[in-house]
Amino acid sequence: MWETVAQAVINGLLIGGIYALVSIGVTLIFGVVKIVNFAQGEFVMIGMYISFFLASQFGIDPLLSLFVSMPTLFVAGVLIQHFLIRRVLGPNDMPQIFLTFALSLLLLNLSLMLFTANYRTVHTSYSDEAFHIGGLYIPVAKLIAFVVAMALSALLWLFLHTTDLGKAMRAAAQNRDVAMLMGINPNRVFCVALGIALALAGAAGSLLMPFYSAYPFVGQVFVLMAFVAVVLGTLGNVVGALIASLMMGIAESLGIQYVGADSGLIVVFAMLLLTLAIKPTGLGGGRTR
Amino acid sequence: MTQIARRGLLVAIGLAILIGLPVVVKSSFAIDIFIRILLFSFIGTAWNLMGGYAKQLSLGHAAYFGLGAYTSTILEIDFNVSPWIGMIAGGVVAVLASLPIGWLCFRLRGPYFTIATIATAQALMLVFLKFRDFAWGAEGTTIPNLGAAPLMMQFDNKSSYYYVVLGLLLVSLMITWSIERSWIGNYLIAIGEDEDAAEAIGVNAPKMKRDIYMISAFLTALAGTFYTQYIYFIDPATAFSFNISIEAALVSIVGGIGTLWGPLIGTVLLETTSTLLQSWLGGSIGGVQLTVYSLILMAVILWRPTGLMGMIDEARQRFAHPKPARA
Repeated sequence: MWETVAQAVINGLLIGGIYALVSIGVTLIFGVVKIVNFAQGEFVMIGMYISFFLASQFGIDPLLSLFVSMPTLFVAGVLIQHFLIRRVLGPNDMPQIFLTFALSLLLLNLSLMLFTANYRTVHTSYSDEAFHIGGLYIPVAKLIAFVVAMALSALLWLFLHTTDLGKAMRAAAQNRDVAMLMGINPNRVFCVALGIALALAGAAGSLLMPFYSAYPFVGQVFVLMAFVAVVLGTLGNVVGALIASLMMGIAESLGIQYVGADSGLIVVFAMLLLTLAIKPTGLGGGRTR
Repeated sequence: MTQIARRGLLVAIGLAILIGLPVVVKSSFAIDIFIRILLFSFIGTAWNLMGGYAKQLSLGHAAYFGLGAYTSTILEIDFNVSPWIGMIAGGVVAVLASLPIGWLCFRLRGPYFTIATIATAQALMLVFLKFRDFAWGAEGTTIPNLGAAPLMMQFDNKSSYYYVVLGLLLVSLMITWSIERSWIGNYLIAIGEDEDAAEAIGVNAPKMKRDIYMISAFLTALAGTFYTQYIYFIDPATAFSFNISIEAALVSIVGGIGTLWGPLIGTVLLETTSTLLQSWLGGSIGGVQLTVYSLILMAVILWRPTGLMGMIDEARQRFAHPKPARA
């Protein structure tokens, strides 16, 4: 009995690490730039396709392609902020929402045109390996993904708390106007925030590739999780998003175990609606906006 | 001629063209496209009441489209109730559903309101996928074809469907027109501009948002019933399709958000583009239509946030009051 529960919790925790990379990106952009990036899931998808093509064309291990997908998406993030998002920042919500939403639609449908809707997988030497600890089963690929995800989150935390640029980002998140008065260049900070957020999404994609299929709609699963985790963990709060993502992973996994195989999403929606009904400001407190 | 008389004349001419169209055009392919244009203009107009004037940017209107479609279909197949009655019943169900959904979603503002609406529509789709006993599950069901049965909203010619959806569109335009020129329109626009400021000057924002959401949901549900009757088929994936939520918002934004004619003009542009693309490419490549839509949407947001209506207004003003030549 307890083994089934423990196994479900472990499965949830491991995938929750990937959710965390996506939601930390969403919450970082929301905290610093004050917009919601509807296209975040599509960057996970792009990260997956980068790893898939590097693996299938050049035989590069998906974990090594992290060093390609992260810088590529960092640059993409800087360019998107500089050439697109910068132009719609203002008091009006409509352009911001529908610009990133249009970007999401565009990337999704472009990849549908270019790569078709087929599922792409990469088989690595460790894809089927697993540790067996007392009746528990821990797949190696998922464990690596979780450890790397946690390491990247820790690095981000260190970056935000120890470097000047990181402190500038936190300052801009707390109060943009005062931060500007202190001599922080908002566009530079926003560019870095977008870059980091997209690089994290790309990392999530590469880490997923050894045990997950790439297809054009794959990002939607992760972005939905991320949105719920970000609301749950208080908008703009990086540590809150991390903890909420792990919780979501566990809740989803328990839902699959005890309610039914395809009930993962229902659990997620139930959690979102419950959060909105009981505590719309998230677990960490704070304002709804 | 006064401005009102001129506008009245324009509307009368437009109406005459719309009514005469199926008499002149006999191609059922063309009428099918006209029906799509009128249907999405109607859905867009319903969305625009809430999303355009009050700027509550929902991407979950498929919830009401689906509820309308399912209510009338269940009533027709299980209880033999005419879809004309089912249509109104569907609208009532949508209004009732909009109360708890609105209560939840309106707790959030801006982009998170949008996300919450997406989530509720998706959750409703899951409900209809899961509960096979009362709604046929994922396979859906076909509507029995009764031939020419106007009382059951079934016709043997496409032009009748055309007039039904034209009627729906005219009703929604009249509702929008009367709201736009009354105090309600001003209140909604005030909420859209700045909700806190609107509340500070005495606008009951929660009540206004709830009421306009109910009207918008009611109208969207009517579109759901009509569409199901038109294609003789229903399943959760079409009735609650995310594409319906997207297109409702898209046609309004491209045409001109918060304007009476915006959704109609936007739909004409988008549907024409989509039809041309399909005839060029043969509709063989998935994703082409939405790729083009998303590029148009981006272009509008970056360069013409007021949409096509804004461009028309600019052109008209330049025509009426030519700028003096600059030195």
